[in-house]
Amino acid sequence: MLGRLHLRLRPLGRLSSLQPPFPPPLLLPTTAAAAHTTPTSPANRPTLSPAYKQPSPTTLLLLHQSKNRRAGKGGEGSFCTNRAAVDAAADVSAPFYSAHIRCRKRDAEALSEALMCFGANCISMDELSDHGDHDEICLTSIFPDGQDVSACISNAASSVGLDYVPNYEVSMGKQCDWVTNAQESFHPIEVINGLWIVPKWRDPPDPQATNILLNPGLAFGTGEHPTTKLCLLLLHEAIKGGEHFFDYGTGSGVLGIAALKMGAAMSAGIDIEPQAVTSARENISLNGIESSKMSVYLVPSKVNSPNIDSAKGKFDIVIANILMNPLMELAEDIVSYGKPEAVVGVSGILCEQVLQIKEVYSQYLDNIWVSEMEGWACLRGTKKRI
Amino acid sequence: MATLKDVVARRPIAATIRLTVPAGAARPAPPVGPALGQYRLNLMAFCKDFNARTQKYKPDTPMAVTITAYKDNTFEFTVKSPSVTWFLKKAAGIESGSGRPGHTVVSSIMLSHVYEIAKVKQSDPFCKHMPLEAICKSIIGTANSMGIQVVKDL
Repeated sequence: MLGRLHLRLRPLGRLSSLQPPFPPPLLLPTTAAAAHTTPTSPANRPTLSPAYKQPSPTTLLLLHQSKNRRAGKGGEGSFCTNRAAVDAAADVSAPFYSAHIRCRKRDAEALSEALMCFGANCISMDELSDHGDHDEICLTSIFPDGQDVSACISNAASSVGLDYVPNYEVSMGKQCDWVTNAQESFHPIEVINGLWIVPKWRDPPDPQATNILLNPGLAFGTGEHPTTKLCLLLLHEAIKGGEHFFDYGTGSGVLGIAALKMGAAMSAGIDIEPQAVTSARENISLNGIESSKMSVYLVPSKVNSPNIDSAKGKFDIVIANILMNPLMELAEDIVSYGKPEAVVGVSGILCEQVLQIKEVYSQYLDNIWVSEMEGWACLRGTKKRI
Repeated sequence: MATLKDVVARRPIAATIRLTVPAGAARPAPPVGPALGQYRLNLMAFCKDFNARTQKYKPDTPMAVTITAYKDNTFEFTVKSPSVTWFLKKAAGIESGSGRPGHTVVSSIMLSHVYEIAKVKQSDPFCKHMPLEAICKSIIGTANSMGIQVVKDL
C-alpha cells in the first residue's frame, strides 16, 4: 500500500527534471487566445511589494503583477499554458475532446503527468490493481476545444521516453452525459428535525414533514454541504414568523425556499451566475411558491439593478453563503441589505479563514458568533444601529 | 489529506484524476464536470471545497489538483502549487521559454524571485522535507534550461 504512495510521488520528482529539456511548442497559446496575449515589456518588471490583502510570501510572488489581473473572461497577459481552457472552463456547454489512451501500466503515471504539461486539462486513470493481469491500462483525457490532440499525445509519449505511440480514440464530449451522472448522487436529506430536502426525481421519505423539492441543476445548494446545513440551522433559529429574508448568492434557492417554509413572509435572492437564477426560479415553481413571495435576480457583479437598490435596508435576515474573498470585498454591500439590528450570516468559509472574516465584519456587526461543522464555519451577528 | 492510519485502512480506490483548475474558479463545466461526473462524484461539493481552499491564491492561477475517487463515490483531493516553469515565466514576464536554451537568453530574474518561488514550493506536500537551498538550486537549474538568467540585482 505504502509502496503505491511512493510510486505516485516519484514521477512528480521526475517531472521537475522532465520539464527543463523539453520546452514544448504547445505551450504557446492556441490561435484563439493568441490575439489576447502580449508579452510584457521590460518596463513592466515586477516589484515585490505586496499589492494584495495578505502579506504572506505565498501571495507576494503571485500577486505583484496587478496589471495582468484577469478581468472576467477576457483576461490578457496570462501566462497560463491552458489559456483557452481557462476560458472554456467558465462555459458549461463548451465542447471538449475526450481521448481514451491505452498504454502499459508502468508508463501510466509518467505519461499522465506529461500529458498535463502538453495541454491536457484533465487525466483520469482507473486504479491500477483493478486490471489484474492485463498489461494495458486506459487513460481518459480531456482536452479543450482547439487543442491538437494527436500532437499533444505524441509529444507527451516521446518526452517520457516511450518506444511506442499509444493507441487512442478521440471523441467530442457532450454536456448531457456528465450532467446526468453528477445529478445521480443526490439523495433526500433530513437537515433538521422535520425538514427534508428531496431531489425532484425522488419521493419524499416522510410526506408529513416539511419537504423542499429541489432540482439543483448546475447550481450550488442541495442541502448536503456543511455550509448549507449551517445556514439552514441559522435560519431555523432566527425565523420566528413574518420576516423578510435576503439570500446573497442564492445558488439553487434552497435557503430562500426553506425560509418561507419555516414561516418567513417573503424571500429575495441574487446571484451572479445565470445557471443559478434559472435553477432557483425552477425550484420556486416546483415548490408551489408564488412569485410575490419569492423572487430571484441576476446581477452583474459590480452594478446592481434598480429593483435591488430600492430594497436595501429592508430585510430582517440576510445570509451570504459564498467564498472568503467575495465576502471580504462585498461586506458593506451584503450588510446594507439588512435593517438595523437585522441578523446577518455569512458562510462558505473554512475554519482557518474565520479570523479574517471576523475582522472585516466586526465593523458592521455586533454580537458576533461563530458556528462550525466539519471544518466549515458560519459567522453571524446583528447589524449595528448606526 | 489522508493520515497513515487512513492509508492502511483505505477505502478501495476507483480512480485517480489529475486536473488543472484556475484558483477560485472551479465550476461545474468542462474540464471539472466531465472528469468528476464520469465517476459520479459530487461536483458542487468539490467546486465549493476547492474554491474555498484556493482563496489565498491570485484568482485564475492554474492549480494542479489530484483527486482520489473511491469506489463508494466519495473523494479526496490535494491541491498543488503551479509548476516552477509557470512561476518563472510570470516572474520573467515572458510567454514561453527560449527555443535554444544555453545559447539564447530570453529574460532574467532576480535571486529574490527564486527565493520567493522556493518558499511557495516548499509548502507543497512532496517538497516539505527538502532544504530551501536545494529547492532554490533546482529552480535555478530549471531557469537555465529555459533560457532565463538569474542575476543578483536588476
